[in-house]
Amino acid sequence: MAPDISSYPIGLCAFFVFATALTVNGRWLTWLIYSLGLSVLILTSRITWSVLLKRVAIESSFVGGILLGTLFRGGGSTLWQWGWLRITTEGLMVLGSVTSKTLLCLMMLNLLVLTTSIPALLHALKTLRMPSLLIAIIASMYRYIAVLLEEFDTMRRAAVSRNLMSNPRGQRLVIGNMIGALFIRTYERGDRIYQAMLSRGYTGVPPLDEIPPNSKIDRWALVSTLLLLLLGQAVYLQ
Amino acid sequence: MHELLVLSSSLSKLYWVISPQLALHIPDGFLSLPVSLVTWVVAIGLIVMALGQVKSEHQERTVPLMGVCAAFIFAAQMINFPIPGGTSGHLLGGTLAGVLLGPWAGSLVMTVVFIVQGTLFQDGGLTVLGANIFNMGLVGTFGGYYFYKALRSTFGFNSWRGTSVALAIAAWTSVVVASLICAIQLALSGTVSLGIAISAMLTWHVLIGIGEAIITVIAVSYIWQARPDLLYDPPKRSSLPRPLVQR
Repeated sequence: MAPDISSYPIGLCAFFVFATALTVNGRWLTWLIYSLGLSVLILTSRITWSVLLKRVAIESSFVGGILLGTLFRGGGSTLWQWGWLRITTEGLMVLGSVTSKTLLCLMMLNLLVLTTSIPALLHALKTLRMPSLLIAIIASMYRYIAVLLEEFDTMRRAAVSRNLMSNPRGQRLVIGNMIGALFIRTYERGDRIYQAMLSRGYTGVPPLDEIPPNSKIDRWALVSTLLLLLLGQAVYLQ
Repeated sequence: MHELLVLSSSLSKLYWVISPQLALHIPDGFLSLPVSLVTWVVAIGLIVMALGQVKSEHQERTVPLMGVCAAFIFAAQMINFPIPGGTSGHLLGGTLAGVLLGPWAGSLVMTVVFIVQGTLFQDGGLTVLGANIFNMGLVGTFGGYYFYKALRSTFGFNSWRGTSVALAIAAWTSVVVASLICAIQLALSGTVSLGIAISAMLTWHVLIGIGEAIITVIAVSYIWQARPDLLYDPPKRSSLPRPLVQR
């Protein structure tokens, strides 16, 4: 059965991320091949590099945590030692592997989100057999994040203008109460949304204006990605 | 795309209290195949069971109610507050979700939050989504809720004092235990050795847990006073000193 709405981009992304992240540490050639494929995709997507790199840079701040583990790790031959701190070949290998895996996956996922609209992503998830109830919940959540953040900001501004956020204790108290108040408002909002939905004939997933149907190029891209992923793994098959 | 722009503009406006942080969210590439696989299987089982339970409990109301509650947890997680001791942290919200919505709806809401953070905001990866759901949905929310309920029954189910003690202990414990399990997963994957993972995660999350406990207690105390009927286990006695009678 051919899916009526293009789910290939998201499938392609998921295959790529799983293949990259679950490769055993130390297979540099595999990731080199994958990054070549990824750069072809990025070049054809016409994304501005600075936008992509800025997003990746913010999200990759956690690599520091791994650096810590690397400094104290045993195994392999020691390259540098100072008291308890030592850098070993195995530590460097794990650091490099985890970093490159994480960067490749982040680039791929950012590429997907930057080029695909959210309703299209949700529809694609539906064709990939994610339960429609779950997708409907995700869609309605996504719709209300901005609304609730706005409401938070209103409450925060009210508290600041009354000089309630001047010391840490007051801040904690106000923020705790804000979260409590927001929950009550949220719950009541849920009821109102339900009534509004009933009166408007809701079906579950946001309507779509223009979703490109699966074309030959999509199929081509999916098949060539799979071949690339297999090639990357086959390099280490002896 | 338009909504994303609106969202990012409202995010930049709120930057001084709201800044994206990566706390327990493991990114892609940190966990090995066996660990990812096992946690994914458990997570999918949890999602399927939670969907069924929540649908039979809330019927047609499921979608709007779970949707806004997930947005609520997402928004609450973005707010930074000072933690005693000088650092700042943000709510994880697992125990809070469980206490307000019950174990099934609570863990479903947390799961939806992780899926959205992983797929739309790249906070936490796809391959490790199962592990993130396992740590904070199953351990943090499901475990946190039952631990809270047991403690609350011990300390006094209908008194605020007993409930607040139960809340504080359960919120702190759920954060610390979730971080411990996260450390074990990282060590099993060979990314960091067990000792370092545990000591780094624990020292940080013992502090985070204190913030979590304080904020959870204050937030629930507000609801306890204003709308106790909205709690998943409302207190039996009315919060009024004596019943209202017509004179």
